[in-house]
Amino acid sequence: MSISVFNLTKSFDRTTVVDHLSLEIADGEFVVLLGPSGCGKTTTLRMIAGLEQATSGDILIAGTRVNDLPPQRRDVAMVFQSYALYPHMTVADNIGYPLRVRRLAADQIQKQVRETSTLLEIDTLLQRKPRELSGGERQRVALARAIVRHPRAFLMDEPLSNLDAKLRLQMRGELKHLQQRLQTTTVYVTHDQAEAMTLGHRVAVMNKGKLQQFDTPLEIYSRPANRFVAEFVGSPSMNFLEGSVDVSNRIFENQQVSLALNDSQPASFSNFDTNKPVTLGIRPEDIRVSLSHRDGWHQTRVYVVELMGSETLVILQLGAAKLTARTAADFRAEPDCPVWIEFDTTKAHFFDSETGLRH
Amino acid sequence: MKRLLRYFAVAVALFTTLAPVYWMITISFKREVDQFALPPRWFYFTPTLEHYVDAFVARSFGQYLLSSLIVAICSTAGALVLGTLAAYSLARFRLPRNFDRKLALWILSTRMFPAIVTAVPLFLIMRDLSLVNTRLSLIITYTAFNLPFVVWMMRGFFAEVPRDLEEAAMVDGDSRLGALRRIVLPLVAPGLAATAMFCLIVSWNEFLFALVLTQTDDAMTLPVGIAGRVTQYGIKWGVMSAAAVVAMVPILAFALSVQRYLVRGLSLGAVKG
Repeated sequence: MSISVFNLTKSFDRTTVVDHLSLEIADGEFVVLLGPSGCGKTTTLRMIAGLEQATSGDILIAGTRVNDLPPQRRDVAMVFQSYALYPHMTVADNIGYPLRVRRLAADQIQKQVRETSTLLEIDTLLQRKPRELSGGERQRVALARAIVRHPRAFLMDEPLSNLDAKLRLQMRGELKHLQQRLQTTTVYVTHDQAEAMTLGHRVAVMNKGKLQQFDTPLEIYSRPANRFVAEFVGSPSMNFLEGSVDVSNRIFENQQVSLALNDSQPASFSNFDTNKPVTLGIRPEDIRVSLSHRDGWHQTRVYVVELMGSETLVILQLGAAKLTARTAADFRAEPDCPVWIEFDTTKAHFFDSETGLRH
Repeated sequence: MKRLLRYFAVAVALFTTLAPVYWMITISFKREVDQFALPPRWFYFTPTLEHYVDAFVARSFGQYLLSSLIVAICSTAGALVLGTLAAYSLARFRLPRNFDRKLALWILSTRMFPAIVTAVPLFLIMRDLSLVNTRLSLIITYTAFNLPFVVWMMRGFFAEVPRDLEEAAMVDGDSRLGALRRIVLPLVAPGLAATAMFCLIVSWNEFLFALVLTQTDDAMTLPVGIAGRVTQYGIKWGVMSAAAVVAMVPILAFALSVQRYLVRGLSLGAVKG
């Protein structure tokens, strides 16, 4: 079912945790709330679940306002970061719990528990207690408990953050597959931008309680709405250079570099005030590095080289700033060795240095 | 050597706690001539049940025992039900201006003055309510007396239960009370058992209020009944001991039956379980 929030605000005492947040989530959509810790994403999820009262604003599920409904009457399922399995119940009782409180017949409960546990490949664990399960198995039980009753939406609060790296990747894939198969509206909270990019149909980036951008992962990556989004999404992070734009000569310049902004540059130059400071953002893959001198390229020094296996990251010292460039796996250079770099200015992003907004 | 010392310490501790109990049990089975024999008859005496017959057939100790059982069980149940709900609220809900913490402290403060301070006003209240010499007066008094303890102890146990569990239960479709009953209470069962044990012991042994509020055979509890055998004409050691032995049994039985919870309950909070 669709979920919408309008001007949703939550304040504790004097601090505002969620500030006039509006989101419209379509039926069957997988939306990720992404942001650093304390940005209000979990609070938003808890308000949708009914575990937290909204200070103001509306929450709608399937077009009906649910602000005043207690959690048990909203018919959404939540997967907690801690899994929140009931420690005194077996796996079967845990999964069957939502059905038992709905007073379904015993044989019906048994049937649905068996189907769901088969789907999640935990049907051999049904008689165990949660403490006898591994982290990944607990995660599956928590998912099964959410799925078993076919809720109107899934709410997931960093469900993968307690798993080790390898298992997290595996469960990430399974989660996506499961959502594609069940077609249930899902709101997923995470601070891991890789999870957000891979899982979400759309990603809502939040910071300090405010929505920064709500768009597809590709759009967020290629056209970040402001400097915060640009910096938060992408690993390694985008590089930033402070400077100014000379509109008449079509160049971006600061003390270290002077970049010609050719005609394919998407930013419209009429917006720029020549005297105003501008931040140029460029992703590591949009900086080319050469070990030999090339005309028009900027000379810098290597600060450190990080081998990643499939690629090599070169951290460059450019004046006081450090830039990260992504190069081929076989790139090798000693620290302090001179290199020449070129910026792909067609892929550069420009932000207002004061407001952080994209130009 | 170290081991020997340890056993010796244990033996001393056991002797000091169990010797009076042993003496009480033997007295209850001794004829009066044996009770005061010199040197004391530690092991060899002619056993008799006369004191038990005297206490429970000829005198009203059966009645006292019944009163004690009713009062202890009802007041424990009352304090547990009310105290558990209060403790849960205090553990889970925040009130403005830290009122919840202040409330908890106020509740505890009712135990900060000596019990005797309330004896006189309590007697007057009970008299006006026509409850003097009834078991109900003791049930009310003991419930009130045990409440602060139940609230504080259970508040600690509830605080140990992760909030996520109840929230999960509520999102899963259960009401808050349902989550309390099906999820939280089973998890704090050891704490509940330990708390119940404590309430039972307090109510069972309570003497002061029982003495003030009950003077008739119908309402009197065992401690008052036993003490009442110390009269100006003589002290009925045999009867008192027999009644005391019987008085030990229910608490002992309950303690043994909840023993496996008790150890966990008393150590819960100290050790992360």
